Amino acid sequence: MSAAGRTIAFGQERRAGYWLLAPLIAFLVITLGFPLATDLVYSVSTVSFTALWSPHWRGLGNFVDVLQDPVFWQAAGFSLRFAVIATVAEVALGFALVLILNPLLERHGWLIAFLILPMMISPALIGIMYRLMLNDFVGIIPQYLDMIGIDANLLGPQCVFGTLVVIEVLQWTPFALLALLAAYQAIPAELVEAARIDGGGSLSVFRFVTWPLMLPALGITAFIRFIDSFRVFDQIYVLTGGGPGTMTTSMSLYIYRAFFEKQQIGLAVAASLLLLVAAVLLLRVSLTRLLRNEPA
Amino acid sequence: MKRRHRTRAAQGLRWLVYLLAVLLLNLPVIVTLLTSLKTDADINASPPIWLFHPTFMHYAEIFSDPTLDFPHYLVNSTSIALGATLLTIALALPAAYAIARLGIGASFLLPAVTNLRVLPLVIFAIPFYLAYQALGLLDTRLGMMIIGCLINLPLALIMLVGFLRELPRELDEAARVDGATLLGILRLVIIPLARPSIMAVAILSFIYAWNEFLFALILTTRHATPVTVGATYFITSWGVRWGATAAAMVVSVLPPLLLGLASHRFLARATTAGAVKG
Repeated sequence: MSAAGRTIAFGQERRAGYWLLAPLIAFLVITLGFPLATDLVYSVSTVSFTALWSPHWRGLGNFVDVLQDPVFWQAAGFSLRFAVIATVAEVALGFALVLILNPLLERHGWLIAFLILPMMISPALIGIMYRLMLNDFVGIIPQYLDMIGIDANLLGPQCVFGTLVVIEVLQWTPFALLALLAAYQAIPAELVEAARIDGGGSLSVFRFVTWPLMLPALGITAFIRFIDSFRVFDQIYVLTGGGPGTMTTSMSLYIYRAFFEKQQIGLAVAASLLLLVAAVLLLRVSLTRLLRNEPA
Repeated sequence: MKRRHRTRAAQGLRWLVYLLAVLLLNLPVIVTLLTSLKTDADINASPPIWLFHPTFMHYAEIFSDPTLDFPHYLVNSTSIALGATLLTIALALPAAYAIARLGIGASFLLPAVTNLRVLPLVIFAIPFYLAYQALGLLDTRLGMMIIGCLINLPLALIMLVGFLRELPRELDEAARVDGATLLGILRLVIIPLARPSIMAVAILSFIYAWNEFLFALILTTRHATPVTVGATYFITSWGVRWGATAAAMVVSVLPPLLLGLASHRFLARATTAGAVKG
C-alpha cells in the first residue's frame, strides 16, 4: 500500500479523527483486554467455581497438567489432522470446480448462488441435519447403505473421523470455490492468449500461466480454511459430543469440556493460552509469507 | 463440425457437474425440507419416499406447541442478530472512515483487528462466562449482541475500509474545504454514497451473528437462547420428533439462506477480505 493519494489529516481534524476510532478501540480493549487478563491470571492460579474471585498463586502447574494430559495431545492431533485433510480436500475440490465450471459461471453469474448456499448455514444446524440423515431409523444414508448390503455405523469408531471430514468438506468447498473463482476470473485473458500463440497446449498454459497466478489465492484460501477448521466445534458437539470416548475431541471441544463438564478452570485456561500462542506463531509465519507472495 | 460437437458435449458435461454439485452440497437442506413436509408415517417409511403429499402439520406444531418454545428462540435469534449488526456498523463505520480517509489507525488498528479473525474464539469463552456472571449479562440478549459484534468486527472493518477507499474523494474533499465537520461528512456524504456496501456488510454480519453457536451454548440457558442452540434441545431433551425438528431447522436456516441468495455478489469479496492485507 502506498501513501500516495491518501489524505493526511493534521491538527484539529486529526484529533476529531481519533474520536471516530475511540468507540471501536474502547470496545476492543474491554472485550479482549479483560478476557486476556483473566486467562493470564487464572492460568497460573488454583481456582474453583466456588472461589472464582480469590485465585491462589500456583505457578506453572496448570501448564504442566495440560502438557501431561494425553487427551490434550490427542485433541491437538485431531484438530491438526482434521484441519489439514479438510483444507487440502476443500481447496483441491474448489479449484477443480472452478476449472470445470468457469465457462458456465462466467456466462450465467447467478448460478454461483446455489453452489454457495451451504456457507450461509450455521454449522450447528448442518450437524443436526446430518443427525437426521444418519439416524438409524429415519436417516436416508443408513437406509440406502443397508439396501446395498453395507452395515456401517458412520458415527462409530471406525468411520467417525471420515464422516466428520466429509461433512466439513461438503459445507466449505463452496468457500474455496468462491474465493478461487474470483482469482481465476482476474487472470488477464491476454496472458492466456499469448501463451496459446506461443504454441502452448492446455497443459502448459495451466502449468506456466494459470498455476503460478493462482498460487497466492490458493495459499490464502487454504490459510483461511485451515484456521477455521482447526477451531472446529459446532457440528462435532452436535454430532458426536467429542466421542466415541475422546476420539473426536477437537481443541475447542477439549477446552469446553475441561471447563464446563469437568470444572477444571485452571486447566482449561492454560490450554486456551497455549492455543493462543500457537495461533499467534502461525499468524506470524504464514502472514509474512502470504504477504510476500502478494504484490502489494 | 466435429469441433462444435465436442464443445457442445463439454458444455453438457459442465451442466451435469454443476447440477450434481448443487444436489450434493445442498443435500442436508433438501432432505430436511422434505422431512419437514412429511407425515410421521412417511418419515418412518423404509425405504425413504421421495414423492408424497406434503403436509404443514409440523410447522403448525412448532409454532403452537408451548413445550417447544420455538417462537421464543426465533425472536431471540432475530433480535440478537439485528442488535449485533447495528452495533457492528455503529462501531466499524466511523473507524473505517478514519482509517480510509484520514489515514489514522491504518498502521495499528487494521492489523490488530485482522489478526483477531485468526484467533480461536474458544480462548475467550471462559473469561466471558465469568465476566458475564459478575455483570449479570449471562443469558441476556444484550450479552449475545456484544458477542455477535465482536465476531463480526474484523470482517466488517476490513470490508468497509476497502469500500470507502474506492469511493471518489472529490465529494468529501469539497465538503471539508467548505468546513463541514467529520461527523457531518460521514452522515451527509459517506453514508449515502456507501449505502450498498454498508448493506452488504450488514447482511453478512446478520448471517454470522444468526449462525453463532459456541458462545450461545455457553452463555445462554433459557431467556436468550437462539435457534442454533434451541435446535439442539429438540434432539436431546424429549426423544426425537423428527418432523418438528426438521420444520424448526427449515425455519431457522431460512433467514440466512434468503439473505445469502440476495447478496451472493458481495460474498466473493467477503471471503477473500478475511485474511489479506494487514
